[in-house]
Amino acid sequence: MPTLCDLQQAFSDSIFDGTHAAVTAAMAADGSAQRSIALYRRLIRNNFVQVLSITYPVLHRLVGEGHFRVLARGYLTHAPSTSGDLFLYGRHFPAWLQQLDAPPLTRELARLEWACHEVHQAADSSPLSPDQLQAMATADPSRITLQFHQAVRFLSLSLPVHRVWQALQADASPDLSIDLPLPDEQTGLIVARSGGAVQVIPLAWGEYRLLEALSRGANVGSIEQMAPEAEVGFHFTRLMATLLSVQAIGEICVKEWE
Amino acid sequence: MSRPHPAPIPAQAGIGLRSHHFREILDSPPPVAWMETHPENYFGQGGAPLRILERIRTQYPLSFHGVGLSLGSTDPLDHAHLHKLKALIDRFEPAFVSEHLSWCSVGGRFFNDLLPLPYTEESLDHVCARIDEVQTVLKRSLLVENITRYLTWRESPLPEGVFMAEMVKRTGCGIALDLNNVYVNAVNFGLDPLVFLDAIPAEAVQEIHLAGFERFGRWLIDTHGRTVYPEVWSLYAWAIHHFGPRPTLIEWDTNLPALPLLVAQAAQADAVLGGCHADAV
Repeated sequence: MPTLCDLQQAFSDSIFDGTHAAVTAAMAADGSAQRSIALYRRLIRNNFVQVLSITYPVLHRLVGEGHFRVLARGYLTHAPSTSGDLFLYGRHFPAWLQQLDAPPLTRELARLEWACHEVHQAADSSPLSPDQLQAMATADPSRITLQFHQAVRFLSLSLPVHRVWQALQADASPDLSIDLPLPDEQTGLIVARSGGAVQVIPLAWGEYRLLEALSRGANVGSIEQMAPEAEVGFHFTRLMATLLSVQAIGEICVKEWE
Repeated sequence: MSRPHPAPIPAQAGIGLRSHHFREILDSPPPVAWMETHPENYFGQGGAPLRILERIRTQYPLSFHGVGLSLGSTDPLDHAHLHKLKALIDRFEPAFVSEHLSWCSVGGRFFNDLLPLPYTEESLDHVCARIDEVQTVLKRSLLVENITRYLTWRESPLPEGVFMAEMVKRTGCGIALDLNNVYVNAVNFGLDPLVFLDAIPAEAVQEIHLAGFERFGRWLIDTHGRTVYPEVWSLYAWAIHHFGPRPTLIEWDTNLPALPLLVAQAAQADAVLGGCHADAV
């Protein structure tokens, strides 16, 4: 009789690696062992396919059930679950699609959906206090830096996949159509929450570059100076209004005069 | 928002709370006595799920039904998972916290499925030590649920009911008795469900679960994806008369129905419970 640990390892080897001898030897010798293993393999794989389809619903709709199942099974082999918390399952899926050299639309959409998944359950943010907003309005911009909240992501993508993401939402209007293939177009997105729902906000590429600089710690003054180079028509106030509307800014830091 | 203190869940029917029904439940709270939920669905740090659960908790007692602790695994207990569970319990004060008599990981690899243990002395010692550890961290007793199995271990000398009764005796845990699982195992392996139920100490049964199964080849599979079968309702009526009225959960996790059907299943369970109350009078 194998130990409990050996028996569990043998079961795992059978399900994931197809090595059946040890586990079937530990199962009743009534001819049912192979059928049981086949059933468990099917149930376990189906569970993971379902979990991944919940995390990547738009990609699921885009590529269809059959192709999604193939991807999900391949991913399970590449990156088995390592937690009892299924919220974490699928976090390496975009990187794996990149390794696979999957079509850019597929892998960029996966990056967007994982960001949405993380933002959906990230810690709640609170509005900035009147004092902080006042500081923003009155302090020397070169002394102001911003800290962004956990419930916001900035994404740089090689395609405007947010158009596909919007068109394939479960509640999207049937009148909303998109032309494929998408143009090769560097795209910046803010993924944030508003009223409990995840929002995806496209930015002009120049705006995105400025936002990225802010998120790396650049001060507001330097951003204002960079702006004219970044994009014609860039409007710093408009960008700040967008950030404030989705409570993207966690803190406004004003450096004291030395 | 005020919230009632944790109160015992009454011996009435409750339903599983699933995100598919959030809006409808918030708009028009259904006439059920309590709600069950998988705590792992609320392990995030914020966002709509937690806010919605807060609102629902103001109107219904909750029961947490975990699926990820892997009580029977020989891997070390995942304390990060356990502490997330503890934080959620402290926040929402569920009346019951349950897990499964199963394992779902080995060597750091998770199946995220409920896998059966061999019912041996080694398994019993192991599971009891794990339940003790969990109960110590949570500072409360756990309910442990019997699962379905689709295999038979060659060396499994203890009958399942005897194994669970001994587990209760050693750890002081309670039992979430899943009658659909009892029925599915009985049909799949030609067992008498009453032999299992007779071995279960009545006072340990604190929650009863009902669900639907589906046929797949020679197997009945516990899918939680349809209405409770008549055979399971019959077993439920027997169990309620045997154990006495108990809080009863209608579990439905796949192919989720319209809320009224779920509520109607709960009403059917309440009718059985009501009949038992009437008999007692």
